[in-house]
Amino acid sequence: MNEGWTSVVFNNRDPVYLQVVRHFKERIARGRLKAGQVIPSRRELGALLKINPNTAQKAYKEMEEQRLIITEGNSPSRITEEADILRAIRSELIEDAVEAFVVSVGRIDVPVDELLELVRAKYVKERARTNHSEGGNSDD
Amino acid sequence: MIEVVDLHKRYRGRKVLNGISFTAEKGQITCLIGINGAGKSTILKSIMGLTPPKSGTIRIEGNPVGPAMYEKVAFVPDHPTVRMGMKLSDGMQFMNDFYQNWNEARAKELLDFFKLDRSERVGNLSKGTTAKYSLLLGLSQDTDYILMDEPFSGIDMFSREIIAEVFSSDLIEARGVLLTTHEIDDMEHLIDKAILLQNGTVQLAFDCEEMRTTEGKSVIDVMREVYMG
Amino acid sequence: MNRYLKLVHMEIHRFRYILASLMAVTMVCQFSSFILTIKRAIAFKAKNGMDYDDIGLPDILTFPWVILKTKEWFILPILLSVTVLVLYTILIWYRDWFGRSTFIYRLLMLPSKRWMLYVSKLTAIIMFVFSMIAFQLVLLVGENMIFKAMVPAELRADSTFVEAISMNDALKILLPKQFEQFIYYYGLGIIAVMVIFTAVLLERSFRRVGVLYAIAYFAGCVVLAVYPVSFLRMDEYWYPNEIYGMQLGVCLLVAVISGCLGCWLLRKKITV
Repeated sequence: MNEGWTSVVFNNRDPVYLQVVRHFKERIARGRLKAGQVIPSRRELGALLKINPNTAQKAYKEMEEQRLIITEGNSPSRITEEADILRAIRSELIEDAVEAFVVSVGRIDVPVDELLELVRAKYVKERARTNHSEGGNSDD
Repeated sequence: MIEVVDLHKRYRGRKVLNGISFTAEKGQITCLIGINGAGKSTILKSIMGLTPPKSGTIRIEGNPVGPAMYEKVAFVPDHPTVRMGMKLSDGMQFMNDFYQNWNEARAKELLDFFKLDRSERVGNLSKGTTAKYSLLLGLSQDTDYILMDEPFSGIDMFSREIIAEVFSSDLIEARGVLLTTHEIDDMEHLIDKAILLQNGTVQLAFDCEEMRTTEGKSVIDVMREVYMG
Repeated sequence: MNRYLKLVHMEIHRFRYILASLMAVTMVCQFSSFILTIKRAIAFKAKNGMDYDDIGLPDILTFPWVILKTKEWFILPILLSVTVLVLYTILIWYRDWFGRSTFIYRLLMLPSKRWMLYVSKLTAIIMFVFSMIAFQLVLLVGENMIFKAMVPAELRADSTFVEAISMNDALKILLPKQFEQFIYYYGLGIIAVMVIFTAVLLERSFRRVGVLYAIAYFAGCVVLAVYPVSFLRMDEYWYPNEIYGMQLGVCLLVAVISGCLGCWLLRKKITV
């Protein structure tokens, strides 16, 4: 459960706790965190990510408010099982990436079809590479 | 909560502290930031009763500084304070003898964590190892507050990483930490509150996450504004 | 009380090697000079006949006589010990400040009242002095036994310790005949240590100006302490009993002031 939580590199301009939440969302979207999976406790998270325990606390609170994780009584927190939330995360991340891409490419004058063709080629190549390095563990 | 109100102090004719006021809460990591000579060590020493301020008030949980307070507040100075001829275990025994808040189990845990040899003499340790030992002596006390003077300065990178891990662990949790530094570097994401000192006064005190949320600035950005601008 | 004892133990423990060395040096000097003197005396007698009467060599040897003959070698280690102990009344404080580590931080942050630091160091010094004196007494007993062992019965005569001690100027002062004098000498000594302690603390509290304060305080106490005995006596106005009373009072006053001032400085003014 605790592998893979390699120290996230934090940029110091965005609130750290939001970066933690985002990191969780990315892991969910990438399938590293499955629905209903148990996550490390507040304390463990602090030690794993090497952040201030208060920040871990804030991140937890934020994720609970966004219904990303569920804490029932004294049992360890788990990722939500609600499908629409999981889907929403996925869409949110994709949209954010697309937004960033469009903003950076938008200044260059290029027809949409050529752009989409480039994106498709790049995307397929990238997927093939990551599939290969992950030993075919994709849930496309 | 540690409250410092209007602290003034002269040192060798110079006005080192010119009306310092701030608070450090329990359960938070507060960092005093300032260039060398800004008086950070002096503030910590004043809080610990190691040097008398010219004027001003210091209150810890509403009480003034006194001997009973030393069971509630631990101090980790920036240089060794255990006699050079003593072994590490002698130093720990000393703390055990005089303090009721000494946690022997935790001390042993930290010995292993920092990979220290208890039969080694304090005088033979390198700078990084001495810093770890000082930290051990401070953290092994079950105090509500812990004050650290430049815990990272002059320490090699790897020792620094190990020491930084202490801040994310449960050794710190629920305690109030007040530390000083002149270089914030990669420590930013570990602190809750930053207090910038200059010319003997507090230029700015702020919550780091709030600063990031509301203004999108890192602590270093703010420092640049305050000290250079 | 517990903490006080621990502090005293720590102070004694830190000094143990020096104390042991002083004792060893004293023993070696005194024993060896003693043995040599006796040997020479007996050899001289053997060479020149048992009843040969020399100016410096009586026909019957006594323990006090040997003490008299070995005066210098006796006094030397005593002077050494006194010097070391006097220096240590100052160093016992400064050693906590200087060096790579400043142990004074630890002492000042102990969860006990600060006057315990003052009193524990004072106690330690007193114990060092008394242990040296006790050791000297033990040495005298040992020397007496050596004397009895080395000198054949027909050449020796018994004597009391008091006679022996009165032969040596240093021993006369350290081990006075009357108990009252013992109290006076050592009482004065303790008060002197307290004055030195407070002077040191003045220097440590006020640093540069502190040196002046320390010297002034020390001088002031000395003047005050000798005032009744020296100046007033010259006056021929006061009865001896009154002078005696005043002297006592002044000394006690100096002690109380030193103690209170020293502890107050530790509490409020001391700085690392």
